[in-house]
Amino acid sequence: MTDKADVIVIGGGIIGSAITYYLSQERVKVSLVERGDIASGTSGACDGNILAIDKMPGYDSQLTLKSQKLLDELVESVDYDLEYAQRGSVLVVEDEQQEPVARDWFTRQKEAGLPMRYLAGREVFEDEPLLARDVIGLVECASDASLNPMALVYGLVEASRSIGAMIRPFTEVTRILQDSTGAVCGVNTTRGMMSANQVVLAAGVWTPALAIAVGVIVPIKPRKGHILVAEQSPRPARRKVQEFGYLLTKFGGTEGRRVEAEMDRHGIAMVFEPTEHGNFLIGSSREFVGFDRRCNHHVLELMARRALRFFPTMRDIHIIRSYAGLRPHTPDHLPIVSPVPAVPGLYIAAGHEGDGIGLAPITGKLMSEMIAGEPTSIATEPLKLDRFDS
Amino acid sequence: MEDDTIVCRCEEVTVEEIRKAIREGAVDVTGVKRRTRAGMGLCQGRTCEKIVTQVLARELQKPLSAFKQATVQAPVQPITFNLLAKASHD
Ligand SMILES: Cc1cc2nc3c(=O)[nH]c(=O)nc-3n(C[C@H](O)[C@H](O)[C@H](O)COP(=O)(O)OP(=O)(O)OC[C@H]3O[C@@H](n4cnc5c(N)ncnc54)[C@H](O)[C@@H]3O)c2cc1C
Repeated sequence: MTDKADVIVIGGGIIGSAITYYLSQERVKVSLVERGDIASGTSGACDGNILAIDKMPGYDSQLTLKSQKLLDELVESVDYDLEYAQRGSVLVVEDEQQEPVARDWFTRQKEAGLPMRYLAGREVFEDEPLLARDVIGLVECASDASLNPMALVYGLVEASRSIGAMIRPFTEVTRILQDSTGAVCGVNTTRGMMSANQVVLAAGVWTPALAIAVGVIVPIKPRKGHILVAEQSPRPARRKVQEFGYLLTKFGGTEGRRVEAEMDRHGIAMVFEPTEHGNFLIGSSREFVGFDRRCNHHVLELMARRALRFFPTMRDIHIIRSYAGLRPHTPDHLPIVSPVPAVPGLYIAAGHEGDGIGLAPITGKLMSEMIAGEPTSIATEPLKLDRFDS
Repeated sequence: MEDDTIVCRCEEVTVEEIRKAIREGAVDVTGVKRRTRAGMGLCQGRTCEKIVTQVLARELQKPLSAFKQATVQAPVQPITFNLLAKASHD
């Protein structure tokens, strides 16, 4: 295969496909290289929430809001049924101990510009009548949305292909190639060499392995998560519901949640998401247990138990399937969207942890701006790879 | 098979939708499933997997034996939340 492009994007997940899309829009000649089928990595084993409510107020939530705006445009312009629904989302406050923390979170998000509401007492059950009777509050963010993440990947890939991008599935990159000055000049793959002066590494949790071969250390670790898929049934809730404790399992620190050590050990927190198909998904778990993507039955049991704590009426609904995926985790919870100073022409876009679907549009946009040398839509200092130096 | 023949009854996926998924790059049952939801419903593909495989074989001009079964994901049989949750107390 002789193949010459302006930019090679490694990784056909949500991040690589968003980058391919935004670059192609700018008439850049892109080749997207994926070792398996498109969306066969983490982006094919996740959930499709586009949330601002669970982002750290500040840069993190601003980044998400920018991404949501871009997503609104994508929903219009991409010719694919993305199953997009903007119903808002709520965090459930379990007890008095959590209440001050939850109120503080609400206030800070509101100040950061999110459309927030705090519901207490009877309002809670007017909003979601089937919640366990002992919960005491809800924090709502009205702009939160959800979609089918795989449909977004396929939609972006097909849209890119239609405007000239080369899509190369079942092609594994074995090495990033450098010229005598150390600058990027292409990649070696299982189907031959491909040349380009710019390479974007968007291989999710598999990014560090390719980077280290060119002497670049990328601090991304796989943080495993499980999902239970329920059958079609009357809905336990009308929109996305997460326990407030989810923030604790996400950002660390387990104070403030009265659960058994077993739940904390596997990072179990209830996440409920209705789909457009009349059924729902239940998450979540969070743990560092390597690259194994098989389900751990014990974790699934704990997740079912946690779901029943918030939605007792789920007890007789059937679970029809389960799956697990690997979130690309970075030490400070922000992704890496950055040039690699030591290797001219090399860029990294990975490490989106549990937010890659929501952050894909802004990531694709920023990467296309960086490569074009244009001013970026939002400051990119917090996303630079060298923030981990020292 | 007619274009509008329903292959996956749980998720109401037609032959034409499966052919489209194959045109867009699906090469196996899992790839069709990710793109169309065929096999994602209550029966988890027990009814439609054979037909999906036949469509794949015909469109890609390969023998049926070239296709592996889709990976079976737990639970093998549907189980209620209550039963699954109870298991963790044992
Ligand atoms: C259970 C779970 C629930 C989640 N829920 C949400 C949610 O609700 N909302 C949200 O925003 N995010 C969610 N996430 C996070 C989201 O799934 C990830 O952040 C996102 O999918 C990461 O996308 P990616 O493109 O970086 O990685 P991937 O999708 O893994 O893509 C990387 C690709 O690179 C390929 N690759 C690797 N090595 C090579 C190589 N050498 N050559 C060629 N290709 C290669 C892989 O095959 C893979 O397809 C969830 C994650 C999990 C696990």
